[in-house]
Amino acid sequence: MSSTTVQSGLARARRGVAPGGSGGRPRNNGLNRKSKLSAQTSRTYFWLLLTSVILLVLIHGYPLVYAGVQATHDGNLIETGNFVGVENFANVLGSAAFWKATQFTLIFTIVGVFGSWLVGLGLALLLRTKIPAGGTFKVLLLLPWVVPIVVSSTAWNWLVATPESPVPSLFRALGLGTPLFLADPTLAAATVMAFKVWVSFPFMMMMTSAALASVDNTVYEAASMDGASRFQQFSQITLPLIARSTYISWILMTIFCVNDFPTIYLLTGGGPVDATTSLVVLAYRKVFQDFQTGPGVAIAFLMTLTLVIVSVILYRQIRKSSVE
Amino acid sequence: MNAQPGQSRTFSRRGFLGLSAAAAAVPLLAACGGGSASQAGGGAAGGTIKFWDMPWAAPAYNDAAKKIVEGFSGNNSKASYQLIQWNNFYQTFSSAIASKTGPAVSTGGGFQAFQFEQQGQIAYADKVIDALKKNGQFDDFLPGVLEPFKSDKGYIAVPWQLDMRVFWYRKSLFDQAGVAVPTDWKSMLEAGKALKKIGAVGFATGSGAGNFIGNHAMIMMMVNNGGGVWNQDGQIDVMNDRNVEAVEFLLELVSNGIIDPAAVSYTTDNLNAQWKDKKAGFGLNVAGLPTRVGDTSGDLYVASPVAGPHGDKATIVFPNNIMMYKNTPSQEASEAFLTYYMGQIKELWKQKLMVALPVFKSITEMPEFASDPNNVKIVKEWQPIAKTFAARGSKLTANMAVLDGGQALSQFTQTILTGKSDAKTALKAFESGLQSVVKS
Repeated sequence: MSSTTVQSGLARARRGVAPGGSGGRPRNNGLNRKSKLSAQTSRTYFWLLLTSVILLVLIHGYPLVYAGVQATHDGNLIETGNFVGVENFANVLGSAAFWKATQFTLIFTIVGVFGSWLVGLGLALLLRTKIPAGGTFKVLLLLPWVVPIVVSSTAWNWLVATPESPVPSLFRALGLGTPLFLADPTLAAATVMAFKVWVSFPFMMMMTSAALASVDNTVYEAASMDGASRFQQFSQITLPLIARSTYISWILMTIFCVNDFPTIYLLTGGGPVDATTSLVVLAYRKVFQDFQTGPGVAIAFLMTLTLVIVSVILYRQIRKSSVE
Repeated sequence: MNAQPGQSRTFSRRGFLGLSAAAAAVPLLAACGGGSASQAGGGAAGGTIKFWDMPWAAPAYNDAAKKIVEGFSGNNSKASYQLIQWNNFYQTFSSAIASKTGPAVSTGGGFQAFQFEQQGQIAYADKVIDALKKNGQFDDFLPGVLEPFKSDKGYIAVPWQLDMRVFWYRKSLFDQAGVAVPTDWKSMLEAGKALKKIGAVGFATGSGAGNFIGNHAMIMMMVNNGGGVWNQDGQIDVMNDRNVEAVEFLLELVSNGIIDPAAVSYTTDNLNAQWKDKKAGFGLNVAGLPTRVGDTSGDLYVASPVAGPHGDKATIVFPNNIMMYKNTPSQEASEAFLTYYMGQIKELWKQKLMVALPVFKSITEMPEFASDPNNVKIVKEWQPIAKTFAARGSKLTANMAVLDGGQALSQFTQTILTGKSDAKTALKAFESGLQSVVKS
């Protein structure tokens, strides 16, 4: 580096001008240029944003608006039909089938979210310890999540559907009778929920494993020195430190459960006698089996609204846990 | 030189924006573009007739049907073949018709033509019927096959195969149980009890995900007793005495364990396995059951129709049909194609590709069809007493689709199969559910 360059650099530094800047120009001109650049940048951002907005409107907005139109009309999949206002919503909210489906969806979601979280958390904690062939176990435990739902539902059907299936046969061999897992309404609901937990726990395990990996081991060492028990370490250190990740996984799993169509439909079709009919299955049946597009879409709208509210509540919990 | 990079930046930014706008416009243009269902192509004056077909049998069926379709060259037109899966087929057809990209001619659900006719999408087939009269095929139709398609405005579709429900039995299980094949409801109950003693099922059915055999069994037993869901005017009439009697009998079968207690959740695969594994002794199913379940034992036989307590004998049939749509490059070409296709379908039975029954007498007399005694028995004994879902009326309507695949019937069937209701309560709930979705 030459001495001229060094001196020039020092001079620029004294004047507060960055390398490459003109430095010698009046301050006013610099501001104008900056302002001009800023306006140009804003225009660029505007056009870039507009493109994205157009794409979003086309991809999300149009179907949403069209669904809104269908929900307020008495048409079918081809014709819009006559405007009926909120009649479809009123009819849906006044039907016993809707509230029965809501009740099942609620229980299915609670069991699905917390059941899969508990199993996932337990396995994530187990896999954190040094067990032989831990990596292999991790891969195997991901299988329920990786296998296509059509395949796994067929496998579950084979396991439980008939009195001669392996699981009822096992129960019979143990002297526990022959439970009809898919034919009895209560057992069918329990089976569908167990299936959901089985399909979903690997996702929870992955999320929790990632969160646990970020917890510093020295925290536990310090807690041990202070005399904290294993349970105290788990409840006072582990759970609070992975709370953010836990809330996110709860939000996602809530959305997955409420919108879950294949798990239920492929295993039970919503039966027997509507015992496993969730809101999304009910919406499907309304539109494609009863050919009542308006009420079906109205159910979908109500589901979306509920999901937004639940997501906002859980998101606030995330922010709260971040602040804490 | 300094200007160059600046220019380049400006160009790049504008270029990017332009490219983005173009990309954004593509789906818009695609959405607005619409398109024709059956675009003229190949330089033919009548255009290309798009024919959509369903997987009615093993894949070999679709290969053969495609060959027939591609052999069409009448009326300066040609035809193309498209296989449509049953999953969400109504949505597939509706979306395509709404966007004017649907077929010109198609097979499809048994009541699909009536649904689309109600929505003004169907082209009437009167000229095809006239052509069939001229070429002699009209007189070849089995009795009563064509009538359900005749409306005040014209023929809504043309039937091409009959999906009939008949009673099947496994002879070896009846021999083992030492009981005769049922001829009426009373003997059905007795045979069911005897079959149960040897661990077999006396009334095999199922109402699990995607299985409609249970629904059909419910309606069949009502119709078999002289009842039905509709009255002669096509109005809902579920709470009639004959229906109550039929449902009480079905509940008796359930309470005696003659209907499998797990049947309510049986999918088609579960039910097929029951037949194949020699667990099912007697039950209602489709024509061609051995082919459907892959049974080559020669031990499965079609039973004779059973008589209800008042001596009635009847079953249900779904006359599957071919329909023409208004969105076509040429109505004349659609009609020429359908007339041609009806003249060629015998090939499908000749090659033994079809599970369902033909609509033409001449096909039922072909050695390839008549060599199976079960086929002969169905044509001779069951076809003459077969009624459509419209029974006790005769006119098929779009409401039949709501009955066939709708929630009301599924829920009713599952209620009966679980045996947790009495006949009148279940029928009342069925009627109420049906009334809430059926258009009067």
